[in-house]
Order: sequence, then C-alpha cells, then structure tokens
Amino acid sequence: MAGRALFVGLMLLASVTPGAHAATLELPPAGASSCGGCHAPPGVDTAVPTLHGKTAAEIVAQMQSFRSGAQPSTVMDRIAKGFTDPEIEAIAAWYARQK
Amino acid sequence: MMKHAISRRGVIAGLGAVTLGAPFVSAQAAPRVVVIGGGFGGATAAREMKALLPGADVVLVTNERTFTACPFSNLVIVGERELTAQEFGYRSIEKAGVRVAYSAAKSVDGSARVLTLEDGTTLPFDRLIASPGIDINWEGLPGYGMAAAEKMPHAWKAGTQTTLLRRQLEAMDDGGLVVMAVPANPYRCPPGPYERASLIAHYLKTRKPKSKLLVLDAKDMFSKQRLFLSAWAALFPDHLEWVGLSKGGKVLSVEPESLTFVTEFGRHTAAVANVIPPQRAAAIAAAAGIADATGWCPIDPATFESRLVPGIHVLGDASIAGAMPKSAFSANAQAKVCAAAVATLLTGGTPPEPRLINTCYSLVTPDYGISVAGVYHPAGGVIAEIKGSGGVSRADAPPDVRAAEALYAKGWFTTVTREVFG
Amino acid sequence: MARALVNIPPKAKRGEVITIRTLMSHQMETGFRYSTTGAPIPRDIITTFIATYNGEEIFRAELFPAIAANPFITFTTVATESGTIELTWRGDNGFAASEQATITVE
Repeated sequence: MAGRALFVGLMLLASVTPGAHAATLELPPAGASSCGGCHAPPGVDTAVPTLHGKTAAEIVAQMQSFRSGAQPSTVMDRIAKGFTDPEIEAIAAWYARQK
Repeated sequence: MMKHAISRRGVIAGLGAVTLGAPFVSAQAAPRVVVIGGGFGGATAAREMKALLPGADVVLVTNERTFTACPFSNLVIVGERELTAQEFGYRSIEKAGVRVAYSAAKSVDGSARVLTLEDGTTLPFDRLIASPGIDINWEGLPGYGMAAAEKMPHAWKAGTQTTLLRRQLEAMDDGGLVVMAVPANPYRCPPGPYERASLIAHYLKTRKPKSKLLVLDAKDMFSKQRLFLSAWAALFPDHLEWVGLSKGGKVLSVEPESLTFVTEFGRHTAAVANVIPPQRAAAIAAAAGIADATGWCPIDPATFESRLVPGIHVLGDASIAGAMPKSAFSANAQAKVCAAAVATLLTGGTPPEPRLINTCYSLVTPDYGISVAGVYHPAGGVIAEIKGSGGVSRADAPPDVRAAEALYAKGWFTTVTREVFG
Repeated sequence: MARALVNIPPKAKRGEVITIRTLMSHQMETGFRYSTTGAPIPRDIITTFIATYNGEEIFRAELFPAIAANPFITFTTVATESGTIELTWRGDNGFAASEQATITVE
C-alpha cells in the first residue's frame, strides 16, 4: 500500500517539477553569467552596451579584437585575455539565444 | 507556476505521511535551498537559484528590510550622492518566487541540515548558501569598539555610519586634519580605502583647502597602488599624505576621547577620524562551523562548498576566494556560479568547471575612474587568476579614458543593482 | 636612501620594563637578482643592529637574506638609570646609520 502511494507520488512529481531534473537544467556556459554584472538587458540607462540582440558572430569578433588589442578598450582587453576561442564562442552562442 | 507549487506541496505532504526518512525522494521532490545574507552575494544567489530551479523552495534570510549598498557609498561620505541611492528592498526578489525571512541567522546544525533564526524559525535545507558578509572584528584594534565607532566612524558597512562620517566632515573647520586608519589584508573591498582617501582629498581640496588627509596604513602595498599614487601626486599633493607600514603607518591602538591614533612610532590627533578596522566573516560563519582559524571560510573553488561542513556553500566577502577580491562584483559572479553548482548537485549532476570575472572600479574624483579586473578558474584547489588575463587600467591613459571608466563604474552599479534587486 | 624610525619612551620608572621599537627603511638588494645584461646585482642588505644603553650593549641582532627589506626590530629592556640609548645599523657597502634618544629614569 505504502509502496504504491510512493510510486504514484513520484509519477506526479515527475510531471509537475520539470525544473528539478538534470535534463532540463540549462546552465550558461563557463564565464557567461559574470558578464551580466556590467552588461544589462535592453532598456537600462547605462554607458555599458547591452549584449542582448547581438549575433554570436558579432560578439565573437568583438571579443577577439579586444583580446588582440585591435579594438581599443578600457577593461574588455583585460577580460577577453582570460578566455579561449571555444569559450568565447560558447558564451556568444548563449547570449545570442537570450531575448 | 503557482498551480504547480500548490499541487507539489500536496504531493509532498502525502509522501511525508507514508515515507518519512526517504532522503532520495525528498531531495528529488522540492529541493530546499536556504540562503543567508541579503547583500550582493546572497540576493543574487537566491534569485539565480529560483531561476535555475523554479521548483525549488528558496528562502532568503536577511535581518534588514532595506539593504544599503557599500559600492559608491564613498561618494555619499563626500556629499556627491545621497544614501537613498544606495538603498534597495527585496520586493522583486519575493515576486520572483523567493521567500524572504526577515530575521538574523542564529545557528546551523550542519548534520541535521537545519538553520535556526533569531526569531525562533527553523529552516530545514538540502543545501545552504551562506553569503553573510563581514563583521567588524571589535577586538582587533585596542581602544576601538562599538561606542568608539560613534566618535571615530568606520563607515565600512553602509548606513548610519556613512552619514555620520559625512556630517563630521561637513562640520569640520577648514584647516582640520582628517586621519584614516587602514588595516592589513584581508578586508572587504581592497581598493576601497584608497578610493575613499581620494574622494576625501578631493572634497578637502575643493571645499576645505587648508585641511589635509593623513592615511595611516598597515600595508606597504595595496590594490591599484601605482595608479592611486600617481593620481594623488598629480591631484592632491597638498591634501593627502599616505604613510605605509615601512614608514610607521601601522596603527596599534586608538583613543576615541581625543580622536588619537597611536602608531608604532608616534601619535596623531585628528579633527575627523575614520577607522577602517580589522574584519572577519560575519558571526554566523563561526556559529555554523564554516569559518577557520583565520576568521574566514575555506571553500571548494568550483562549487563554493565549505571545506569544513558539507552541504553548506559560502561565497562573497566571508569566503576565502583565492585570487578573487572581496568585492560586490565578485560576490555577484560567485553567487551565479554557486547557484549553478547547487542546482546541478540537487539534480544529480556534476558541476562544470566555472570561469569567474571580477571588475572593481574606483573613483579618484567623481569623473576620474580606474579599475582592476581579472578572470578566474579553479586551479590547485583554489580560485586562481587565469594567466595573461586581468590587470589594472593603463598608467598612461588620457583623461577621456579616466572619465569613461568613471561612467562605466556608474553603469556597473546601475546594472548589478537592477539585476539583483530590480 | 635610508630612514630610521625609533620609539623609545622619554620617561620611565626605575626597574620598569620598556619597549623599544625600531624600523629602518632601506633600499634592499637581495644579491640573488641579475641585471638585464646578466650580471649579478651585488647584495645590499642591513647585516647588524646594535643597541647600547649608556655605552653598554644591551641588544644585538645579526641579519641575513630573507629577513626583511625594512627590518622592524622591537625589544624590551629594564630602565635602570637616566641616560642615552643609541641604536646603530650596519650593512653591506659600508652602510651605517645611528639614532639616539635620551631617557629620564625616576
């Protein structure tokens, strides 16, 4: 009796708590969550540009030119140097999916 | 969402009746995450936790209904900003589905996984995230204490102390000597004392030009030192004197009645005295058993799980975060990484190796900003800076770059406070 | 360019234990570094510290590499009589510096 109640309970849980399952847990790629400290979503009054709405290619190109120094910057050159190309590509692809 | 929450609670109650003591089921059911601390670290962690695991029961424990932010509070001290611009509430965090318990964390039973609050509430948890911040180490500086802080404010926790120091500066006669004591590492906001020194010197130069600031420092080296020293030499040669450790700057004790600082080699009596005292992780850290003999909390660099008590994660100023400084930016970045790790652990996964960023801006004047930045990863058991990354603003940067960094500093504050509290 | 800081109590009771603090700022060269041309940079450290009380040696320290760039030396002694306490530092390349202070013992 108790065994059946537990089984039914688990079935219900599975149907009502999708967020509690690893399969649906979508984490940002390494490093991406830190960007939001300065880069706001659209509509925030700040001198720091938003990353939302940019394509992955735009973000990758920008990060690479910050890293090489081709694009002058105040702080982004120092930050871009901490990331490899695959890491930058993953962050860019993730941001491109944020609306 | 709300309907789901209600039906889930019904299910759990039913399960509890028949299968008490089945940890597998309860962990899978509605993960319970309790977060201590309503500052940048704790509030971010609670919000991020709820966003990653909407089914989780997330409780944020904070003893203040209004959070008063420290970054930019140095501008309040010198009258360039009002304290209300530093104040934030938890309404949006509650709207996001986080339960907020307005009481102080009192004790933690790490093996039973229960947090007890000052008001008697008990909060069981599957994972606890502690971001309790700092306490002043009142025994750390002879002569200093809570009563002394009314005469010689620390202003190192923003709020009434901030406005007290501001009023004292405003009331001081032109020609007065302002003295600031700076502690040895580690303490909250490594460049903070030097930003404050800059802004006070700027205030004196423009408002009370016969006055001077004397900075007595227990260190010879500090954050963004070359940038600060060259800016001070250029901007405040007559208004700021910095005395480091090897020049006798270490303050041994203070005498609050006469606003006197006693150093190893002399005495300095101030018209306005600002004592930045030694600090340690907030008291709950010791009560929970997560602080070590240093007074700070050792952690795993990938998950922020305590090295001392499993199931408890520690971040922000209270943690020993390796190369990452005790800053609001760090706490915010750490909280998001920690929440991701906790969410992964609660759903049976293995947390990925994180990357973390810190950027600390300091203002030399309201329109002159400098920064230190870094990118970090777990290496050798600690959080280490990624080689080749990071560093400070260029020494030869022109004024428009300094002005841009001051603007980006304000942008960071707007964005991070909106992300966390907005 | 060296600069000494000393803290010697100007007054003390007879028999009282007094603390003397000293800090010598000094441009140290460890002796382990090389110039850009590869030549070793000669060592330049403080090697000896001596304190005398009315001419009698009461404290001496021999200093070696890796102790401190700016040695902070503090020690205690018993205030026996009024007089002069003299502190002397010596080091590589003929470095020598001294400071003195008078103490009144009642």
